[in-house]
Amino acid sequence: MSTALYLSTLLAQVGSGRLQGGWEYIWASYAIAWGSLSLYALSLWIRRPKADAASKE
Amino acid sequence: MKPGRPISLLKTAGVLLAKDLLIEWRTRARLNALVFFALSTLLLFSFAVGPDTKVLARNAGGYLWLALLFASVLALGESFRVEQENLTLDGLRLAPADARAIFLSKAVGNTLLLTGLGLLLIPVMVALYGVQVAMGVRPFVTTLVLGCMAISAPGTVYSAIASNARARDVLLPLLLFPLIIPALLAAAKATSLVLQGDPMNQLPSWFGLLTGFNLIYWGLGFVLFPRVIED
Amino acid sequence: MNTVLQVISAAAALASVVLGIWLGRKWAPPGSRVNAKPVLWGMTAAAAVLLGLGAYLGLVWAPPEREMGEVYRIIYVHVPAMWMSMLALTINFVCCVTYLFKTSWKTDALAESTGEVGLVFGAYGLVLGSIWGKPTWGTYWDWDPRLTAMAIMLVTYVAYMALRRFVEDPEKRAVWSSVVGIISGVNMPIVWFSVKWWRSLHQVQSTPKTVDPDMTLALRVNAWAALILLTLFLLHRYRIALATREAEVALPEALPTDAPGPHSSRTSEVA
Repeated sequence: MSTALYLSTLLAQVGSGRLQGGWEYIWASYAIAWGSLSLYALSLWIRRPKADAASKE
Repeated sequence: MKPGRPISLLKTAGVLLAKDLLIEWRTRARLNALVFFALSTLLLFSFAVGPDTKVLARNAGGYLWLALLFASVLALGESFRVEQENLTLDGLRLAPADARAIFLSKAVGNTLLLTGLGLLLIPVMVALYGVQVAMGVRPFVTTLVLGCMAISAPGTVYSAIASNARARDVLLPLLLFPLIIPALLAAAKATSLVLQGDPMNQLPSWFGLLTGFNLIYWGLGFVLFPRVIED
Repeated sequence: MNTVLQVISAAAALASVVLGIWLGRKWAPPGSRVNAKPVLWGMTAAAAVLLGLGAYLGLVWAPPEREMGEVYRIIYVHVPAMWMSMLALTINFVCCVTYLFKTSWKTDALAESTGEVGLVFGAYGLVLGSIWGKPTWGTYWDWDPRLTAMAIMLVTYVAYMALRRFVEDPEKRAVWSSVVGIISGVNMPIVWFSVKWWRSLHQVQSTPKTVDPDMTLALRVNAWAALILLTLFLLHRYRIALATREAEVALPEALPTDAPGPHSSRTSEVA
């Protein structure tokens, strides 16, 4: 029964010709993108030249 | 580097090539090891895939080129190690031999070595994988020569670089493998077409790709190699 | 409204690029006395604002796509990342060619930073591309020519960065990595055509690439935001590379004089 229901919704999706939902993929993508950008920014900050701190003090 | 005339350049390259081949011949044990390495790679593919002759025959082109590629890493890595052990490269630079002649001799030498290896592998492939060379020997040899040239030119430049770096055994394949993917693709495709027949006449386009690849990288290697071994 | 947003974001990004180049010349070299803090904070703020705006436009404001529904919204992060990666690696190629003609630590440092930053953008862009493939094509990896070529390109530049790690002598590293960078850059079009060819002889993959005019605004704002980020990353990485170079070369005058030259080094090596 449940498979039939699932199949009917699937067929309806095929009929309308548009992918439904998929927000989990979008959230995952945004998380990966912003995560890697901030990680790289962090790594740049960690590697910053030490003379910088000395000259500012 | 002196802009020597083309004839003297070729002559120098010929002398160097003869020297390299002589060294190869005197160290035949290394050569034999290389051949058996390639053979055992071919053998391992059949164990990895299983004894299904049809699958093996269909993918034989790819296996041949993978075996050649793995063997080429060893051969290329050796080709500058020999020079380093005897400090020949310094001697050649002091000679002063044109660096481009060194590139030509090394690249041609590697091409010869790999082509010979490929020719040795055919009978083994016929026996192990049950392939037959559908289109005759001539297109097969053309594929082999073009493909080996495509591996050798960038391989020579990169092995000159890697042989002086740390972790050179990792560095050479790391640099070389992604670079020669187009050539590998074309050579493997062309080989399977040669082995299985070419009803749609696709072979010339793959040969074209290989030729273009060779022209670009032999040219680039010729121009850039002097910068690699300078100083 | 649309045009105003477009003009503002483009102006902010281009101004950031100009400021970034100026800071790269004045502030990045070691021992610089330029106080870059206000400008840097301004650029970072601009990037943050544009990123937030781009996320809003991409996730909320833009309409769903005709065939792919909501999933297409991944392009707002995926496509800018790929563009920035290509841009960085193109600069890398130019630097490699330039270095072989005119030796300069600055060119070498810029090549190093563009290689690394391009790798970062390309890596997450590639992951996003394969995530996008899951709902639209059914598999994460479909051997789509674009993604395949990009993956090969990334492996090539991973090797480039590995080479930089594995050579200690800074001069040799600069020359060799320039050679490798040139060969890798030349390889890109070949890879692209061969992969495309290889795929097309199998089957034609129809990629739905209908970007609605309504969606271009969101994409553009995101791309400009990514450009500011790229500028900032390059600037900071370039500064790190210059500082590292100075520490390696250990000669105070080796850095400002731009041309140590291969000849002088050769004589010192021989002598």
